[in-house]
Amino acid sequence: DCIIKVKCAHIFELCQQFPHGITDQVIQNDMPHLEAQQRAMAINRLLSLGQLDLLRNSSGLLYRMKDAQTASKMKGSDNQEKLVYQVIEDAGNKGIWSRDIRYKSNLPLTEINKILKNLESKKLIKAVKSVAASKKKVYMLYNLQPDRSVTGGAWYSDQDFESEFVEVLNQQCFKFLQSKAEVARDSKQSPMVQRNSSFATSHEVWKYICELGISKVDLSMEDIETILNTLIYDGKVEMTIIAAKEGTVGSVDGQMKLYRGVNPIIQPTGLVKAPCGLCPVFDDCHEGGEISPSNCVYMAEWLDF
Amino acid sequence: MTAQEVRLCGLLLQEHFGEVVERIGTHLLRGGAQNLRTIANETNTPLDLVKKSLCVLVQHGVCDFGSGRRGPGSPVEYRGNCERVLRILRYPRYIYTAKTLYGDTGELIVEEVLQRGHMTMSNTVKTVADRLTHNMEEGRSMEYSEVVSSFSKLVETHFLQRCPPVAETATAAPSATPATHRTPASVTPPTAESNPDCYKLPPVTLTGRGKRRRSSDDGEEPGGVKKAKMDSESCGDEGIYWQVNFERFHQHFRDQAIISAVASKLDQTSSEIVRTMLRMSEVTTTPTAAYTQPLSANEIFRSLPPNYSISRPILDQGGSLTGRSDLHRALANLARATLESVVQERFGSRSARIFRLLLRKRHLEQKQVEDFAMIPAKEAKDMLYTLLSENLVQLQEIPKTPDHAPSRTFYLYTVNQLPTARLLLQHCYKTVANLIERRLFETKENKRLLEKSQRIEAILASLQASGAEPEQLTEVEEMITAPERQQLEALRHHINKLDSTENQVDETIFLLESYIISTKSK
Repeated sequence: DCIIKVKCAHIFELCQQFPHGITDQVIQNDMPHLEAQQRAMAINRLLSLGQLDLLRNSSGLLYRMKDAQTASKMKGSDNQEKLVYQVIEDAGNKGIWSRDIRYKSNLPLTEINKILKNLESKKLIKAVKSVAASKKKVYMLYNLQPDRSVTGGAWYSDQDFESEFVEVLNQQCFKFLQSKAEVARDSKQSPMVQRNSSFATSHEVWKYICELGISKVDLSMEDIETILNTLIYDGKVEMTIIAAKEGTVGSVDGQMKLYRGVNPIIQPTGLVKAPCGLCPVFDDCHEGGEISPSNCVYMAEWLDF
Repeated sequence: MTAQEVRLCGLLLQEHFGEVVERIGTHLLRGGAQNLRTIANETNTPLDLVKKSLCVLVQHGVCDFGSGRRGPGSPVEYRGNCERVLRILRYPRYIYTAKTLYGDTGELIVEEVLQRGHMTMSNTVKTVADRLTHNMEEGRSMEYSEVVSSFSKLVETHFLQRCPPVAETATAAPSATPATHRTPASVTPPTAESNPDCYKLPPVTLTGRGKRRRSSDDGEEPGGVKKAKMDSESCGDEGIYWQVNFERFHQHFRDQAIISAVASKLDQTSSEIVRTMLRMSEVTTTPTAAYTQPLSANEIFRSLPPNYSISRPILDQGGSLTGRSDLHRALANLARATLESVVQERFGSRSARIFRLLLRKRHLEQKQVEDFAMIPAKEAKDMLYTLLSENLVQLQEIPKTPDHAPSRTFYLYTVNQLPTARLLLQHCYKTVANLIERRLFETKENKRLLEKSQRIEAILASLQASGAEPEQLTEVEEMITAPERQQLEALRHHINKLDSTENQVDETIFLLESYIISTKSK
């Protein structure tokens, strides 16, 4: 038994040496004369004492030293709690749903709930409402920042998608690009120069929006780029990418994105000038039926306009 | 040939040629190639009426004939050409284009040829000269030579072409022996371009002036008719009939659409350059080519209109030094803009955002659509389902497991441009048919009123011609009451609106058709 204790201490030291974890192989190399059975007993003892973490990676089992603080916190808990805590910790900052905890730990629902309440009261974990499904709650470690996919990032405040905020940003960016294009057009220089000066980099737009101060949250350049993308999908803006030297303001990975306000290439097409083009009951309409061109109320209204 | 197309063709035929021709024409379009007997029996029309209708249809190029299925010797079969009937819708646009390019003379020439289907040059020139003279002041008349010069300009730029020679196919004449067949029974009728003399003017000189037609000239009619007959006999261009080259007009429309798109997207200067490039390659490009011929910057520069001050460096900067227009891509972009415009007007700008997003990114999951478009999940879902129910957006399933379980399948939204364009084209046909029917309905409703107003106008005209007094005229005018006058005004306004909208929808039809044809031939 003493030998085991000595081996434990030895293994623990090894773990301290390699904070990322050690495999069976490492232990064997260090202590070649230790039998497999004894090694296993030592490791199990360390695990039950809560001083080691058991992890699995692609090549096999990994033993890692447990964080001293959490180790002390967990002292009062039993194995089940430790297991649940482990599972939650593994989920990182994305959090994990209670049903998934159940799958991973194979514990019955009632137990899980009890444990979760316990851990929450000990302030070891917290529940965060997910933006994807508003009823779902994910659990993660107390001191972790929830990932953007859970809270939704800058566009969500309290789980609500801020449509007006996005709309306002949308309009402001477009106005900025439009006025830039107008200035370029009025300068009456050669077409190429005009075209080039009507472009704005995403960095410029980002600076402009930040200076406007309409946003309570800090917006990153990426956020602005998602807004500019929606303008592209609105057909109001076009984008090109140019190569930029590393270190130029606003360049990312040697590229810069340029945006420019554009006009639509055609006027609203002929079909929509007729009421039939917009008619909600178009498919039900035929001559001699209840809905027909002869008795169409939309046409009558449109003709008298 | 879809039901909508046949319906529209029927309406167009009826308006332009009357009921009998409409019945025969629709029957041909629906039933494919048939011979004379079949047509007469199935439409319950007397044989001579059928023959006359077929003549009219052939004259206008709507109907082709060829030897029957059972080879030479069997009765001739007639085939309807749906596309050709749909062109009737576009006649106003052709005439207007001719007017902008070649003035009133050009306009009247094209109008006459369109109305008659095929015409000889001498006939056209005479008729147009007479019409122009009629509109001129007293004492002036139109020189034939002026009309001839407009005609030749139209031929030079390929807007008019000779009708294709009729192939010598076996008719029902029993005396035809195999030895006298010069051409084998061709399945497809010869095209106009297969004739090498397609754009050659006949070597005739026409001199003379237009004659003014007066209503009191009735007495002269028999003499005039005889004279006209003698004239046409001496002209020497019988058998050389001319028709309008629709493809050439279509090329022109397509170029116009591209130029205006470039002007909106870039600027005026670029559009001028594109216009020059397209004009230079007008006669060298076949209508279905995907690209124009490459042109060097020098050629372009030299061909720019001289009063357009644009310096060399700017032209170079405009890019594409060997200018070559990708016509197919241009048409695809125009078609795409059309689709987007329809979605925008019909469903709102946010649905249009989703639509454009799907066009760009091809396949997206529900969640990705919400993220990219920055639209709240509930609304995005609603809009996507609406678009899906209208068949503008399709759902593609990609299973993760062989059993296609819904929870383990990817559902991707996608937009296929070509089928969607076809769908919208059918919508357009239906819309135009609806507009025409409404117009006919409105006219029918107010038939009594229209007839009355026509009678009153006739009375007024005859009174004026015989020199009546103002009191008599006002008395006649007052026969139409004020509310009736208002009703007439409203009716006129309605009919004009319906007419002009038909033309506008036809513009959409043109863009979509061009795109579909260009994609098919790629």
